[in-house]
Amino acid sequence: MNLGRIFTIIKKDFDIELRQKYAVGGIFLFAITTTYLIYKTFNKVSALEWNILAWIIVLFAGLNAIVKSFLQEKKETYLYYYTMFSAFEVIISKLIYNFFFTLFLAVVVLGTFTVLLGNPIKDFPLFIKVFLLGILGISSVFTFVSSVSSTGNNNATLMSILALPLVLPVVLIMERVTAIAMRLINDTDVDTDLLMLGGIDLLIVGMAILIFPILWKS
Amino acid sequence: MMYMKALWWKFLGVAILIYVVIAGLAWPLKPGIVDVKSSDAIAGKSVEMQVEGYNTNFDQANTRAWLELDDVGYLTAKEVSPIDYNHVKLIFDLPNAFPQGDKIRKLDLVLHSAEDGESILPSALFVNTENAQIGDEGWELQTLEGITAKPGVQFPYRPILNETVRNTFFHIPLWFSMFIMLMISLYYSVRYLLKNDMQFDIRATAIVNVAILFGILGIITGSIWARFTWGTFWTTDVKLNMSTIAMLIYMASIILRSSIQDVDRRAKLSAAYNIFAFVALIPLVFVIPRLTDSLHPGNGGNPALGGEDMENTLRMVFYPAIIGFTLLGLWLATLLIRYETIKDKWLSRKI
Repeated sequence: MNLGRIFTIIKKDFDIELRQKYAVGGIFLFAITTTYLIYKTFNKVSALEWNILAWIIVLFAGLNAIVKSFLQEKKETYLYYYTMFSAFEVIISKLIYNFFFTLFLAVVVLGTFTVLLGNPIKDFPLFIKVFLLGILGISSVFTFVSSVSSTGNNNATLMSILALPLVLPVVLIMERVTAIAMRLINDTDVDTDLLMLGGIDLLIVGMAILIFPILWKS
Repeated sequence: MMYMKALWWKFLGVAILIYVVIAGLAWPLKPGIVDVKSSDAIAGKSVEMQVEGYNTNFDQANTRAWLELDDVGYLTAKEVSPIDYNHVKLIFDLPNAFPQGDKIRKLDLVLHSAEDGESILPSALFVNTENAQIGDEGWELQTLEGITAKPGVQFPYRPILNETVRNTFFHIPLWFSMFIMLMISLYYSVRYLLKNDMQFDIRATAIVNVAILFGILGIITGSIWARFTWGTFWTTDVKLNMSTIAMLIYMASIILRSSIQDVDRRAKLSAAYNIFAFVALIPLVFVIPRLTDSLHPGNGGNPALGGEDMENTLRMVFYPAIIGFTLLGLWLATLLIRYETIKDKWLSRKI
């Protein structure tokens, strides 16, 4: 393992992202269009709806974004990776890159929401905690499933079938804690929820790191 | 005879299941109290109660009745007059003295006869003690004597649950055996990834398929049970929805398999996904429901299987049922495994 090499892969992904502006632009356009659509149809959104809609849009925008993280790589690139890097370095760099990419995406979505529909969040420190943990969970599940479906038939539909049930527990806890941060429900035991979310994240990241080297060989 | 030796566990499983079905459905419930109709109860006045029983023999038995005030004592019925086998009329003279406490007091009803054993209905009578004195005159302070259980094996009677208590032998063991099978399947998936032997992949997949079948049966039995106890087929209960998600995750694994043509790649991916799915299953079914309120036993502070929570008569059928369903599931899985192995051989011969 070498931090420099991990950084190299991240930088390469970032460069590709900058070069293929249509891909990243499309995702942001999707996020902003859906938010605007909600704004025009609902006019006024209650805190509960805000919570649900915001996370669903983050979820699907993230799905669209990460699906290509492994699918975009050509077979030759894989061969090249295989000679240059270890499986551990590849999966770690993909996890880190996708985490930051989804984070950025989510900030854009929530920013648009705040501008157009207001922001019902009352407890910001709590929200930031659940935001980071939740994005980590979503991005690592999607990364893992992307690696699975890329070694499969390069099928984007397969990815959503596999990823959505797996990501549900993370999203459910996220929505619950966000509702607490909006003071929609009262819960003195919110730390347990955060702990559980962190635990699920750790499990997912750990499994992804353990299983990827085996998939990688094929 | 050698062949028979390898079959013993299948016969054991079937024998256990036959025992579970016969014993679980044939043994009667203990006599219980379904409903009590009573006139207004005011301290110091006489009250008439009409009691509806279940599985009782009021007309043949010499029934005795008491009202119990928690931590204080008992009040024996002045008159017990049976109407028919499951209706009895009771008359109590309520004392005009109650110990210090709330204005409205809850009394439990206790019935006993040598033939029916003991049956209790908690909070059977609400007494207005507004004008009562403070004290315990009129109450028998000693514990009840001569209480015997009804002879023979019976399942406990519980209000609301009634006869559906028998579903304990089907709904819960189905989920238990599903989890046992998923664990076995996880073991084979790990072994496949380590050894790359196709046989392990076939075993893991077959067992997952049977586990999904058991999960669906578990949901159906649970749904029917919910209709008769909670009132609807489907509720917002956490455990229900979490198990549905778990089922969706495993069904996705079947779709994953069918979408890949290459045999080795398919085996590798489904093994990886199977491990991942099991890891996702643990927080879904075991952690999240325990932290939030749920109607299910063992969640949100409800009692479950430990200690005093389950009657021994239920255990006599419940634990064998888990073993029986698991053995039946493994038998189903071996059939699938044989089918897949033969198909595998036949396909490779054709090429």
